[in-house]
Amino acid sequence: MKVTSNDFTSTAKLSLMDDEMRRSVKQATTTAYQKRIDLMFEAGHAHGEALRQRAAQAKRRALQRLPDLLDQAEAKLTANGAHVLWASDGEKVNQLVLEIITRHAVTSVVKGKSMVSEEVGLNEALEDHGIEVIETDLGEYILQLADEPPSHIVIPVIHKSLTSIRDLFIEKLNMTPTDDGHEMAQFARRVLREKFLTADMGITGGNFIVSETGSICLVTNEGNGRMVTSLPRVHVALVGIEKMVATLEDFAILTQVLPRSATGQSMPVYTHMYNGPRKAGEPDGPDEMYVILVDNGRSAIFNSGYAQILTCIRCGACMNACPVYQATGGHAYGWVYPGPLGAVLTPLLVGLERARPLPHASSLCGACKQVCPVDIDLPQMLLDLRHDLYHRRAVDPILKWGLKLWAFGNRFPALFEFGGRIARLLTGDRSLKRLPGFLSRWTNYRDFPPFARESFRRQWRERRGD
Amino acid sequence: MRKNRDEIMSRLDAAHPPLGAIEGGLERLSVVPMEHLSPQQTVDRFKEQARLLSSSVYVPASADEAIRLVMDLLGDDNRVMSWAFEHIPLPGLEAAFRTNSIRVVSARDETIRVGITGADAALASTGSLVLLTGEGKPRLASLLPKVHMAIIRQDQILADLETWVATLHEQGLDAFQNTASAMIISGPSRTADIAMQLILGMHGPGELHIIILEPTHL
Repeated sequence: MKVTSNDFTSTAKLSLMDDEMRRSVKQATTTAYQKRIDLMFEAGHAHGEALRQRAAQAKRRALQRLPDLLDQAEAKLTANGAHVLWASDGEKVNQLVLEIITRHAVTSVVKGKSMVSEEVGLNEALEDHGIEVIETDLGEYILQLADEPPSHIVIPVIHKSLTSIRDLFIEKLNMTPTDDGHEMAQFARRVLREKFLTADMGITGGNFIVSETGSICLVTNEGNGRMVTSLPRVHVALVGIEKMVATLEDFAILTQVLPRSATGQSMPVYTHMYNGPRKAGEPDGPDEMYVILVDNGRSAIFNSGYAQILTCIRCGACMNACPVYQATGGHAYGWVYPGPLGAVLTPLLVGLERARPLPHASSLCGACKQVCPVDIDLPQMLLDLRHDLYHRRAVDPILKWGLKLWAFGNRFPALFEFGGRIARLLTGDRSLKRLPGFLSRWTNYRDFPPFARESFRRQWRERRGD
Repeated sequence: MRKNRDEIMSRLDAAHPPLGAIEGGLERLSVVPMEHLSPQQTVDRFKEQARLLSSSVYVPASADEAIRLVMDLLGDDNRVMSWAFEHIPLPGLEAAFRTNSIRVVSARDETIRVGITGADAALASTGSLVLLTGEGKPRLASLLPKVHMAIIRQDQILADLETWVATLHEQGLDAFQNTASAMIISGPSRTADIAMQLILGMHGPGELHIIILEPTHL
């Protein structure tokens, strides 16, 4: 997927003017946020906190042993008749999938939701080779029709209202006009059912891999994931290498914490575990199963100070809690992962130079860490990334010189105080409505308050009576 | 292929454990505390949670009543998808189907309205069913039809997912490894992608009927 994160400011400005989008996002994030609280803390606050810490432990300990766990999972999956393939980068992922397509004479593909496939631009790569690829999660299907990227990792179509979805179905699929959401869903069900029944290959992501059994785990609500893995001849799962968990016990906790955090459900409707392709004598299921373990920048993060971000289970709670995400929606972040997660992960995966504004797209209020089911310290990582930006001289020159000026003033208190007195003399009791040049970035949105009658330092001296 | 694997592994191996020392252990913790519940309360929790997820739950008074219930839910349908009878804990079902000329169809038939399955376990804390794949247990029976009917024994109801996972360990993981796939089903298929409206039956069944058979009925 194309990276447009450096346009954050201009895209965010447009988003702020899009009332329909803002209403939809606000409503959905608030609902998810509240439902999360109801269920995470079903058995009291202390228990909910203990769950977060237990979940964090499971993912952190798995990350510490990542090479071992990958080895073990590969051995188990292979013994169960699945093919395990490895891809260093996105290009390799697409190449591997195309090879599988050729090997099994596949002409049509149905897909479950996979963020990795968005990262690597899989759909475009397959379409370039004349393969029909259909997204089957309702939200992702709507986006495919609209030719838009997802704007939330769990609720991809969070920015669209019922009427815009209706208009899209009428325009692209000749749906008989209706304002009833249920009828629209039934219509999409019929269209997609046909695709499931005729597809040769199903592609999914994976939420966890249990290494002690080699189980690929997937959570879905609609049942499209089940269709994709039950009807076509070939199942391909694209899974990031960081998705490992060591034991079934850890999986049991994580797979319940995930939906509680994501949508406020105690369990997803369907929690799938795949150990391999269908066994002899089974009436249905895929003949072949491939697991592609995807690096695409993850091993570099593993070796950086940001390794903790690899414990993320992609629940989206940080987005739902973030005041910046709530205002701008997901598209402003300019790549696959929006919100606080994206503000950290995007620069790490695509390069800080290609996502300079993102570490600053936060008020550092800390809500993201507080709601994170695996307690990732997102605010600290945002600060660290800002630090990296400064040292790579990748910051906005105005910010840089502003900081230098501020530092200079602070090193010479007399000068600082003198400057303040001059400013007070010039402006008096008035707040400033308009400042020139780059300073207008402040006054475009709020007044600059009047300068204090007396400086803090002078008041300090007087009140202490020194 | 090898090359990509070696590259990735060497990058991971080159590193020291990335997070430094980690405090705290991996002690057992139930997502929902269930230990204090009596067996009857556990069954009640299953029913309550399943209903919260929009499943319908029935506890017929006898095996005959269970069969009548199945026939009622089938209505005028004379073809169903189903697991093999040996995997469904209602012995009279096969005979009842014969008497009523109801045929079990195994094809990917779009026109079949009802799918009947047993279950390999049920989870009280979340109102879920666990279905394992295997001979005589088609995945599509709980997926393609609009109505999924699951017939389970009351003693299959475990406290929670944590307990089920513990039983897999007790049996030795080999048994689980010999299963291609496990599906944990919690309610009918749903979506909220259209403006956060709850819609049932998106791709999978829109109705889930769970019939619980008490030990005295069998």
